[in-house]
Formats: sequence, C-alpha cells, structure tokens
Amino acid sequence: MKPRHILLVDDEPHVLRVLRLSLEREGYLVVTASDGNAALACMTQQLPDVLISDIQMDGMDGRTLCPLARATYPDHPFLILVMTSMTALDERTWARELANTEFLEKPLSPRQLVARLSRHFAALA
Amino acid sequence: MKLNRIGIILIACALAAITLVVALLVVRQQASQAAQVRNKGVGLVKALSTVPMSLLADSSGRGGVLAAVLASNADSDFAYVTIGDANGRTLAEIAGSGSITPATPLPADARTGFGERTLPAANGGAPLREFYGPLADASGGPAFVRVGFHQPGFTVLAQDVSFLALLALMMFLVVPVMYVVIKREMAPLAALSQQLRGQLRQLAAPGRPDQPGADDMRELIANMQHYLDQAGARIVQLEEGSLNTTADNRLLQYGSKKLNAALQSLPDGLLMLDPAGDVTFASGKVEPLLGIPMDQILGQPLDAWCCDPALRTLFGRYSGDLRDNARSHKVDFAPQNVEGRQLSATAQPLSGGHGTMSFGTLVVLRDVTREYLARQAGNDFVAHVSHELKSPLNVIGMYAEMLADSDDESMRVESLNVIQDEIERMNALVGNLLNVSKLETGSMSPERNRVRLDDMLRDAYEQALPRAEGKQLRVLLDLPRELEAVAIDKDLFRIALNNLLTNAIKYNRPGGSVTLAARNEDNEIVISVRDTGIGIAPEAQDRIFEKFYRVSEAGAATQRGGHGLGLYLAAQIVELHHGRLVVESEPGVGSTFSVHLKIVSAPAGAAVL
Repeated sequence: MKPRHILLVDDEPHVLRVLRLSLEREGYLVVTASDGNAALACMTQQLPDVLISDIQMDGMDGRTLCPLARATYPDHPFLILVMTSMTALDERTWARELANTEFLEKPLSPRQLVARLSRHFAALA
Repeated sequence: MKLNRIGIILIACALAAITLVVALLVVRQQASQAAQVRNKGVGLVKALSTVPMSLLADSSGRGGVLAAVLASNADSDFAYVTIGDANGRTLAEIAGSGSITPATPLPADARTGFGERTLPAANGGAPLREFYGPLADASGGPAFVRVGFHQPGFTVLAQDVSFLALLALMMFLVVPVMYVVIKREMAPLAALSQQLRGQLRQLAAPGRPDQPGADDMRELIANMQHYLDQAGARIVQLEEGSLNTTADNRLLQYGSKKLNAALQSLPDGLLMLDPAGDVTFASGKVEPLLGIPMDQILGQPLDAWCCDPALRTLFGRYSGDLRDNARSHKVDFAPQNVEGRQLSATAQPLSGGHGTMSFGTLVVLRDVTREYLARQAGNDFVAHVSHELKSPLNVIGMYAEMLADSDDESMRVESLNVIQDEIERMNALVGNLLNVSKLETGSMSPERNRVRLDDMLRDAYEQALPRAEGKQLRVLLDLPRELEAVAIDKDLFRIALNNLLTNAIKYNRPGGSVTLAARNEDNEIVISVRDTGIGIAPEAQDRIFEKFYRVSEAGAATQRGGHGLGLYLAAQIVELHHGRLVVESEPGVGSTFSVHLKIVSAPAGAAVL
C-alpha cells in the first residue's frame, strides 16, 4: 500500500511536533505548515490525502485556507479535518458548507486522530 | 346728598329705559297689526272684485258671498263691505256689529285700480282703514267694492305682560346692586364732602372763636389724608390683583419653559405618543440619535419616517387594536440612518390621576453604544482568555499522551519539559489576568515606599539566570556604583520587571544576550532591559502596550506566543508610578525597553527600605 500524505497546519509548534511524531509512527508521510500561506505552498509540491488545519492562526487562518484549498483543487477529493474547540461554536457554520470536511474537537488526542484516519482510509479501500 | 342723587339718577335712568323699551314694543306691535289689517283688506278686496255681481248678494242686497264674508270675519277689526256703483249708490252692504259705511265718496283712482285710505269713523269711534277697487263684473255698469277695517288700537297682549314684568324686575334688581357698588367706592369721598360742608357752615356762622376752626381744619386735613390713603390703598389693591395675575401667568410660562428646557437637555431622547400612536412631542436629542429630521417625526404618520423595524414594532404595541399599553417594553436596535450606533428604546404608558387618565406613551431613546461595545469587548475577552487557556491545555494533553505511549527516553524528557513550560505559561497568564483585573477595577492601589533599586534588580537578575541558560542565553547586569532612591511599590514593580525580562528571554535567539541595566539620568532613574532578539517592526511598536496585542510576523511564529498581557501590565504599572515605559527596537537586531522613574529627594529622616 502506498504511503498516505498528511498536511498539518497549526501555528503552535508543540502541536505540530506531537502530531507529526504520532502520525509518522503509524507510517504516514507528514508535512507541516505554520499558516495558510505556507500550507498552500506545500500543496503545490505534494497534494495531501488529508488536510488537518487549526482555525485561529497568525497569517492566513484556517477559515480562509480550507475553502481556498477546496476551490483550488476541485478534482482532488481530500479529507479536511478542522481542529476546533467548543468555545467557537459559531465558527463552525462555514465549515459545514464545505464538502468532505469534519471537525476534530480540542483538546486533541493523538490516539483518537490516528484511529480517525485509520477508519477513513479503511473506508476508502 | 350726592349719593342719594346718584340713586335717584339711576332709578330715573332705569325708568327711562323701561319706557323706551315699552314704547319701542308698542310701535313694533302697531306696525305688525297694521300690516296684518292691510294684508287682510287687500286680500279681501281683490278676492271680492273677481266675484260676479249676482253671486255677491241676492236681489235684496243680503246673503250670498257677502254673508259668508261677514260670517268668517267675526273679529273685532272688521267694519264693513260695501258694493256701490259709479254714482255712489250702495248696491249691497254688510257690516260688523256697530259699524256703518261712511258716506265719504270714493276717490277717482278707484275706477282704474286698487287703493286704500284712512277715514274718520262715522260714529266717532276709532278711525277706519278702507280698501277699495273696481268690480270685474261690469254687467250692471261699473261697480266698486269697499272693505273697511277698524284701525288697530293699542292693546297689551298677555305674553307681552310677562316679558315686560321680567324686564322691569331685572332693571330694578340691577339698580340697587349698582347703587351699593358705587356707594362703597364713593363712601370716603361722600364723608369728606359732608365734613367740608359742615366746616363751611361753621365758618359762615358769625361770632365763633377762631381757635376751634383751626382744630377742625387739622381734623379735616387728617381725615382727607385718611380717605386719600384709603382710596390709594384700594387702587394699590386693585393693581396688586392685576399684577398678581400677570405674575402668575409669567410664573406659569417660566415653569413651562423650564420644564421644556430640562426635557430638551436630557442626555436621552424623549418621544411622546398619543393614544393613536402619533408622535406629539420629540426632544432635540431624538434627531441626532435616530438621524431623522424633527419635522419628519412630528405630526407625520409612523410609516412615513420610522424605518427601524424594531422601533416600529415597539410603537405598534401602544397603538391600534392590539395595544398592550399597561406595561413598559424595552428594545435594543442599531438605527438605520446612523452608522455604528446602538440604541435602546424604552416605552412606558403615561398615566396620571392614579391611573385614571392616560396621556399616551413615553418613549425614551438612549445611546447604548458604549455599553454595547463594552459588552462585546467582554465577550471577546472571555473568548480570548478561554482560547489562551485552552491552547496550553491542548499541548499538555497531547504531550501527556505521548509520555504514556513513548519508550524513548529523550522523548519523555522533552514531553516533561514542554508540560512544565505550558504549566508555567498558564500560571503566568492566570497571574497576569488577576493583576490586570485588580488594576482595572482600581482595587490594587500601590503602596509606594522609597526604595533602593540595587537589591531588587539583583534579585530579578538571579531569577532570570536559570531560564536564560535553558535557552543558551547570557544575562548581564549593569549597575552604577550609586543609584538614587525612588518611590515605588516593590511587589508591583517586580511584576513589571519580570514581564520585561520574560519577553527578552522568550523572543531572543540562541547564543544571544539579555542586559538588565540602570543609570542615573538628570532627575530620573532609567532601568533598561535589552535583548538581541528578533526585534519589533516599527508599525507594531505603537501597539505592543495594548491589551491582548500580539506581534504577528513570520519570525515570531516559530516562537512560543505570549498572551498579550505582559507588556500591557508592565506599562500600566509604570504609569501607576507616574513613570514612562519606552521601547526602541530594530527588527532582527533586538529591542530595548526602558523604564523612566522620577528620583524622589529624601525628606529629612525618611527611611529607605
């Protein structure tokens, strides 16, 4: 089975580091970016199978990045996972309108993320 | 006596007036009776002139139409009807009781047309009024009809009697009232005139000694003075009455104007609605609050000017069939015609007389933009703080999971370090939040004492050393030999200094340095914290002391972000000490934060802590 590509976007270096370590241990190929612009730059090199993004970021935030990524690559149906907290309930409406987009509740558990991705790829196969 | 004369004159006037009224009434009555007689006479002559001779009377000169005329004119006015020929011969005749046709011949104009005249009564009674004219039926030669009526005399009718009696009664009632009023006003003058007259009599009497005369004169003058005073007092009383009325009016006007001015100068806008829901009063503040000209609001239908749906709904509750005007209602809305403003409208029924009278509705418009923004800022604050608290919790949770799952020793050390860092970060945030809240509510009042800064700066330096070494940074302390004393709150100032040092370490680069220095400068002491870090862009330098402001740039993103309270708190504390916090920075080279504090000259015998 060919390795799956994951693009991680967050302005919190600790989050990027922990998630990268957790996902790489499971055999995923992980690329990280600290904001939306960096993420779009990464996508020109390699289109990911899953885009995992925070919402609140300095620079381009997740709210701008996710619809833009979807619109830029309409033929590439990658899964988008948005990391959000319960305090930002009103932030969710825009993401509901995007196809193939789901939420990850904060505080985020790396174990649960790994399980979520396994289910996703098992369903694809 | 003069007063009596006035009374007599009044009675005479009343009598004259009554006479005049009665005379006018009589003339009017006679005129109307004469007109009645004339109508009857002319009508009868014209009617009879058309009747054929043969029908007027039978051959004996009696009966026929004339008999019927006599029967229907049985009243006292009717005298006679005579039919005569051109020679003055009587062809037929009827006459009322006691009347005979006078023998006076007809005038010449009777041949050509109708006429009338007054004749002396034949038997010495009242004069007669005669109407005459030619008969249409000339079969037996030209003939004439003459109708006589008694001239009406003066008769007083029953209804006139009661009217006249009433009139007379009223006039006689008015006379004594007028008499009393005039007598009251003239009393002092009458008394004076009586006394004068008495005095004159005394002077005229011969052989009287002169001495009492002088006394009398004195008494007279005193009396005159007294009467004049009385008259003057009366005039003053009348004037006062008039003045009081004027003053009352002015007072009322003044009160009304004052009330209006008070309503107009209220910071809130006031609208009064009548029970139909139309605006009857609007204070001046309404115009700028709603952004609608006053003349559009007053006396115009609601639909024409009110473009705010919330306000319309509110007004609708107090008018029409569905009105619910027993309670007050409140609504917040953003006016359509004014940009960026938030208004609150409170409507309540206006009633008086313990609820028995309703004057409509009072609507108070208040500008709540500040409260609205404050509330919004409060919400933003809660969102911001919860995000700030959640981020470290998120990181702690993930590293704790990794710590549990990983066997790698270096990984475990890293996890523990990060968890430790994040806990410190949260601790600092909570501490700073509490301090900011205390500062902003004013519950933190600085206890300023004269302090030598040397020890305090050394303490801060030593606390910073271990944190700096973890990041491979050098910390330098640069103090002069002698440092002037300043008046500060030690505990507060330590927080400010600690925040500056934390930033200098946090935003530095490996191998860099942090310098804590102090120097005497004119009448100030300058404490500076210099780093060799990433620096701050010029456009951000103005804003770094704002609450929750964080520098966002590519370089900073690789560092652990702050929470936007450290510099704000430091600046607030320095300001509380009447000092200045200044920043100089060059991106990529480093930043220097300087605290300028006034040197306090020591009062004699003051202790330095």
